[in-house]
Amino acid sequence: MSVAARTPVEGGSARSPLSPVDIGHATHVAVVEPDTAFWGLVRKDLLAETLAGGQLLDTFHANADGFRQEMDLLRFGLKPSAVYFNPTERCNLNCTYCYIPERMRHDGKHMDRATLLDALDRLHRYFRGHMPEGRLPQVIFHGAEPLLNRDAVFAGIEAYADRFRFGVQTNATLLDDSAVKFLVGHGIGIGLSLDGPSPEVADRTRRNWAGAGAGAYDHVIRAIERLDGYPGYNVICTMTTENLAHLDEMVAFLHARRVPACMLNVTRCTLPGARVVRGEDDAVADAYLAALETTHRLYRETGRKLVVANFANILIAILAPTARRLMCDISPCGGGRSFFALAPDGDLYPCSEFIGLPAFSGGNLFRQPVAEVLDSPAFRLVSGRKVEDVEGCNTCAIRHFCGSPCPAEAHEMNGGMNQKGAFCRFYERQVHYALRLIADGRHDDFLWDGWDEGTVPTCMIGGA
Amino acid sequence: MKKIADTKPAAQPRPDLIAIRKTCDAEGTGLSHYVLMDKQVKR
Repeated sequence: MSVAARTPVEGGSARSPLSPVDIGHATHVAVVEPDTAFWGLVRKDLLAETLAGGQLLDTFHANADGFRQEMDLLRFGLKPSAVYFNPTERCNLNCTYCYIPERMRHDGKHMDRATLLDALDRLHRYFRGHMPEGRLPQVIFHGAEPLLNRDAVFAGIEAYADRFRFGVQTNATLLDDSAVKFLVGHGIGIGLSLDGPSPEVADRTRRNWAGAGAGAYDHVIRAIERLDGYPGYNVICTMTTENLAHLDEMVAFLHARRVPACMLNVTRCTLPGARVVRGEDDAVADAYLAALETTHRLYRETGRKLVVANFANILIAILAPTARRLMCDISPCGGGRSFFALAPDGDLYPCSEFIGLPAFSGGNLFRQPVAEVLDSPAFRLVSGRKVEDVEGCNTCAIRHFCGSPCPAEAHEMNGGMNQKGAFCRFYERQVHYALRLIADGRHDDFLWDGWDEGTVPTCMIGGA
Repeated sequence: MKKIADTKPAAQPRPDLIAIRKTCDAEGTGLSHYVLMDKQVKR
């Protein structure tokens, strides 16, 4: 890259609200108004005149107030609509990068059935106060391994099926035929975790307590076979030093098995154990972008998409900021404002990443109103973290396409909320790639069909 | 499934200026520990 995103390119105008960003494209350069996340892609030889005036600037000035209001609402006006619900502290795996402390996963407690039902009732009453008519809040049973507490979880799903949209994120070790039948029968979203296309790779990081070589790979493969044809399941792959060389093979593997969607996530470095397998930014970006290209080639060859949901979310953040679903890549992040996490003892945290960091418990579901917890100092520390206050991000043109994730790792690894997270360069390259796809007119190939249903164009220049 | 013709994007002229923005009611919901379904799975 010849020009950093945060550095104006030659020919930029000090008076123009648009900051040029070299995205590494052959013919086009991006221009971005950072505060509103308004952008354009312009032929390089037309950059100077575009910055001086014309259609793009006219469009920006005509719509700037609306764009600002839109970003303000997205960043500061949302109320929670999801809970990451940990029904147990325990896990039957001991994955290298887990953000839940080993002591909890090994010796922790379950939430009993009556308590789980009580929790769902309290959550229902909280959400009913502000959720719009016809939209259900989401409860995602997460972990640790939620199916270790299967009876309580399934009882909760049965009892509250009409009041929540449920999902389960599982390591698949307990996802037998009866569990699949129950979850599919109730239309529950199912997320599986798998880190490689072979047991030799996958089980390096996702292994049981006995150690390497005894992991979850075989279970996940059987679960994928059981779930074949079910549209509500997906696979999360965490990118580490242990699998980067196999990422390309991994997406081909998932595509061949007709997995509808996946995520290729960076290792969140909140706890020290995860940092051991943290890939270097450019190495992660190289492997990740190559894997995205492979998904595109496979789509072109077969007509069937494997949507990489975290990348799709970045594309959507650029094309339609308010249509994004995942709220890690926006500032403030969604932690403690569009979702929160519930621990088995009832303690509430801004995000699952903070479970295991007692200082970030904002209160307890069984002892305090949720609204009071959302306003606690612990939650405010996270929900008040703005990219404008993060050194190095506050001058970056693409700050609202990235959001400077993640506050948990910024705080725990880099020394405070006003520090960057772990993968600045990776996010920068991801955004540049997304903008190159738009410049090439290929972006729709990376998004799920109908992604923009319900959206209204506010700017459409050259991109129809 | 039907193969889709490769468009070879570099071979196609692109507009001098591209700018796209769409809007909708914000429903941003979750974190990257779980793939949020865009639509409820039909039962």
